[in-house]
Order: sequence, then structure tokens, then C-alpha cells
Amino acid sequence: MTNSGYTVHVENLTRMFGTFKAVDNVSFQVKPGEIFGFLGANGAGKTTTIRMLCGLLLPTSGKAIVAGYDVYKDTEAIKRHIGYMAQRFSLYEDLTVRENIEFYGGVYGLNRKQIKTKTAELLDYLKLWEHADKLTASLPLGWKQRMALSTALLHNPDLIFLDEPTSGVDPESRRNFWMLIYELSEQGKTIFVTTHFMDEAEYCHRLSIMRDGKIVELDKPQSLKQKYKADTMQDVFMKVVQKVEA
Amino acid sequence: MHRILYLIQKEFRQILRQRAYLGLIFIMPFLQIVVLGFAITTDVKNVPITIVDEDHSAMSRRLVDAFSVTQSFDFQGLSQSSNQAKEVMKRGLVKLILHIPPDFEKDLKNNVHPKVQAIVDGVDGNTAGIALAYVNQIAVKLQQEWYSEMGLHPEELLEVHLTEVETRMAYNAALESVNNIVPGILAVLLMAVTAFLTGMSIVREKEIGTLEQLMVTPIQNIELVLGKVVPMLVVAFLLFNVGMLGAGLIFGLWMKGNLFSLYLMLVFFCLSTLGLGIFASTIAKTQQQAMFIAWFFMVFAILLSGFFVPIENMPDFIQMITYLNPVRYFMVVIREIYLKGTEIQFLWKEGLAMLVFGLVTFISASLRFHKRLN
Ligand SMILES: Nc1ncnc2c1ncn2[C@@H]1O[C@H](COP(=O)(O)OP(=O)(O)O)[C@@H](O)[C@H]1O
Ligand SMILES: [Mg+2]
Repeated sequence: MTNSGYTVHVENLTRMFGTFKAVDNVSFQVKPGEIFGFLGANGAGKTTTIRMLCGLLLPTSGKAIVAGYDVYKDTEAIKRHIGYMAQRFSLYEDLTVRENIEFYGGVYGLNRKQIKTKTAELLDYLKLWEHADKLTASLPLGWKQRMALSTALLHNPDLIFLDEPTSGVDPESRRNFWMLIYELSEQGKTIFVTTHFMDEAEYCHRLSIMRDGKIVELDKPQSLKQKYKADTMQDVFMKVVQKVEA
Repeated sequence: MHRILYLIQKEFRQILRQRAYLGLIFIMPFLQIVVLGFAITTDVKNVPITIVDEDHSAMSRRLVDAFSVTQSFDFQGLSQSSNQAKEVMKRGLVKLILHIPPDFEKDLKNNVHPKVQAIVDGVDGNTAGIALAYVNQIAVKLQQEWYSEMGLHPEELLEVHLTEVETRMAYNAALESVNNIVPGILAVLLMAVTAFLTGMSIVREKEIGTLEQLMVTPIQNIELVLGKVVPMLVVAFLLFNVGMLGAGLIFGLWMKGNLFSLYLMLVFFCLSTLGLGIFASTIAKTQQQAMFIAWFFMVFAILLSGFFVPIENMPDFIQMITYLNPVRYFMVVIREIYLKGTEIQFLWKEGLAMLVFGLVTFISASLRFHKRLN
């Protein structure tokens, strides 16, 4: 275990696929309790970065310490300390809501009694009692995403990775989802979230803008807006991209 | 350890929700056995035949006539020599050669039993078996006619065997009978189900993304693998029992030996096929690929198992290769235990071979299975 005071500490992290650099020499730090945003168009390298941080992909080079553990050596320890919600919805559609919660609870090592308590807690919280015994496939996407988040938190991790949790979800569900994120943040959890929605970027404490595998900006949304003399993050993003292309 | 129980529970819930699986377990074995039954009892018509007549007598010509008029055979004309006839068979023009020896008529009249030889292309074992039965029927009918012409009484007739049709398989020395095929089918079903379903069920989770989610949980490799394999083994076990029931009900072919011996051997055998499934899943990105990889290995394994072609009939070096094939051992074991009731202590060599191959395949495939995306 390494302690630098940062929850996530990344230096010169690179990942190649063949000769293609999907993530190109990125460095950043995430402070405890922060909502840290990763903004970028499709193919920018957000998912690849998250996967390396979760121990799913081995980096090609560079350093990354997550929750105090090295992504090269201690991937299993990392997995015990983080929650991860993949970009694709990844609960079992052919299991009921209750069965999904039970399954992930079991996988995270909760006992029968804890699972029962947790299930009741979650169903209350997500207001899903009516749907508890329906197949997950029958839920609207917004609900599925909130459920996926809740199951990723069954083991009560302090650090949570969310990969485009709101893509494909209607605006109201997106707002609801962000309320969940804020609640978690208030509980002291650190949140690492990727998105390609510019408006969502405003909700982050700090954010980095990624393009072609590189981090081209990293600051508070307010500071970025001042720096680029823009009213919205949309404008900031456009100006950043133009600057890079110029 | 208790994580495995949750994995297994989840797997069964999913299986029970998929009609296809249930059909697979309870209908497929019956269907296979029924289809097979029909294939075997179907009338054979127009089997192409050539005859080598070395006697050129009135009697031998009557025999030739008898074969050329029946619906069962399609007479392709006489061949001049045994070699010429075999050449014709090799080219696939005939499936049956009837060889009438010189002195056929003379021997007949002197009451010496002449030997008519029938050579069957045994590649298609079923057709061959039925064709031979027809040859015998025609020969017997003819011999009855001749004897009555010669003034023998019906009672005496029963005592006399005029022609003895000596049968020989050209390419399939031990002609597969229903008895041999049914246990073979069970073995193949077992293999298909365990290898295909294991591979596909893992890759399906890759495709839909749930495997990625599982990979970030504290679950261990071995737990993930066992959580997939144990339910598949149970499915295979059920299917096998349904298959045995089918064989009993449809062919009256009931298990003769000790059921638990066979179950034990089944587990040894399935270690390799489950291992094959896991192996396929570590390479494949899509379910189709997993199926193709499993299929690729299965075809070889089945061809080299002695199921269709007896191993003794294979070239030496291929015979050597078959020793590396677990299916080969299981074919022996299942036929011995199922059909003959052989005690397990006489099959320990096969059992051991399967166990060793099983462990090697299973463990090396599981080691390839990583909790990482590649
Ligand atoms: N397994 C892989 N093999 C090859 N290329 C990949 C692989 N995964 C991602 N890439 C490529 O890396 C780039 C970054 O992908 P990704 O990290 O998924 O971007 P984002 O999540 O920002 O949309 C893309 O061009 C993608 O095609
Ligand atoms: Mg992505």
C-alpha cells in the first residue's frame, strides 16, 4: 500500500493497442471526496483509462495508484476497495431485480442476512418494491442504471468509477442519477465519472478534458470557463478542441 | 467458497428461464435416438450391386436373375473379375459385390456347400447391414426353390443349407449395430453439451458485458470457472440420464452395468470436454467463435474415437493419435459398462487415462482464464 494523500494518483499512464496509443501519457490526481469528471468524445480513451484503474487492463507504461494500491501488482486489492459501473449495462437482464441484488451481494461476500437487509434497503431507496420480482429487462433504462449503481456499491466502497452512467438516458433520469452521485459524494465517497455530456461536466468538482488519448485540460469547471471566457462547458469544450487543432 | 454457491444459483436461475436449455436436456436425447432408430429400420431400396460369376452355369445365372429383378437391388451388370468388381466399388458405383465361385453348380449338385461371398461397402453401416439381410433372404428363397425342384421334402429342406453367404465388410469390419451406436450417441451428446454450452455461456457474458462487471468483483478465477462448470455438469448429467431412458424405452437397450461406475467415468470424461469449453471461451470473442472452436476439436475427437470407424481400421500413426483422445476411452467405457455390464476394475486404465487428460485440459484451460480483458 502506497500513500500519497490522493485517492487516485496517475503519472504518465499509457496504453497501446498494437501501435495505436489509446491512452497517451496521462497524469492526474484525484483527491479524497472529489467528484472528478472525465470529459471527452467517443474514442477519446476514457473507458481505457478507467479499465486500467480498475485492474481490468494492464497499462503499457506509466504509474497508477488506486486507493493506495498499484494497478500492476495489487489488482485484487483494488477490486475490494472500488465500485465500478461499466459503460454497458451489466446486470443480468434475465434475473429479477431482487435476484441481481442477491447475486452481487453474494459475490461481494455478504452473508444471507446482510443480503436480506441490503436488498430491503436498496428496494426502499430505489423505490423498486413493485418491481422487485420482475425481470430486470422490463425496467426503463434510467431505473436500470440506478440499480446498477446500487449493486456496484453493495460492498460499500469509498471510491467509485462510473463509465458514462447516463448515456442513452432521458434528461430527467439523468438529473436523478446526478442527485444520487451527489448523495454519495456527501457521504464522503470519491467519484470518478466519465461523460460526453457537456452540461454534466458542470456538476463535477474538477474535470479533465480528454482528446485522442491525451488530457488537454484539467481544472475546476468555473476556472475553465474563466480561462476560455465561456458561459457554458459546451463553449469551453469547443474552444479547447479548436486550440488543440490549431 | 460461498461465492461459488451464488454463482451456481444464478446460473441455474438463468438456465431454468431459457426454454431452449430445457428442450436441450429433455427433448434432444430422445429426438436423436428416435431419428437414429428410423435411420436404422428404414427400408433400403436400390442398393447398387455387381456380380462376379465365375461359374457361368444355369444355376449361377438364376442367382444373378434373382438379384436383378428385386426392388432392393439395382443390378449394375456383371463384373469380369473380383478385382474389376472391387474397382467399381472403390469408385462408388456399387455398394455390394456378390461373388459366385467356380464349380458353384457342381458343388450344389454334389451336395457340397458352395460359398457365395458378399462384399459390402461398410462405410454406411446401416445400409450395409440391411443389404446383407436381403442377400441372405434371396439366397435362402432360391435354395428352397432348387431343393423342391430336386424333389426334396420340406422337412428335409430345413436341414440342408445350400449356399452359405459369407459376408465381409469392405471398409467397416465391425459393422456398427444399434447397440453400439446408441451408447456412442450418448457420449457425443455429452461432449457437445458440455463443450458448447460451457464455452458459449462464458462468452455470452463477455458479449453482454456482465463478465467485465464480474471481473471487478473480488471473485477468484477458480470460483468463476467452477461457477460455470458445475451447472453445466449437472445439465450434462441430466441429459445423459434422459438419453439412457430414451435408449431403454425406444430400443429396449437398458443399462447392464453399475450406474455409479458409469457416472464416475462420466465425470472423468467431462473434465476434458468442460476444459475444451473453457479453452474456447478464452480465445473467442463471440459465441459463434466459441462454437466454432469447440466444434473444430470435437469433429476430430469424434472421428478418432472409434464411433464411426473402428480404430483397428485406421492407419498406424492415426491409431497412435487416438490414444491422446479422451473420447476414445469413453467410447470403450460406455459400451463396456452399458452393454456388457463390465465391472469398473477392468476399465481402470481407460478411467485413469480420462482422468489424466481431463485434469490436464481442465487445469490448463482454467489457467488461461484471466480476470483481465485483453
Ligand atoms: N481492446 C481494444 N483493442 C483495440 N483498440 C481498442 C480497444 N479498446 C479500445 N480501443 C480503441 O481505443 C480508443 C479509445 O477507446 P475508449 O477508451 O473506449 O474511448 P472512450 O471510452 O473515450 O469512448 C478507441 O479508438 C478504441 O477504438
Ligand atoms: Mg467509453
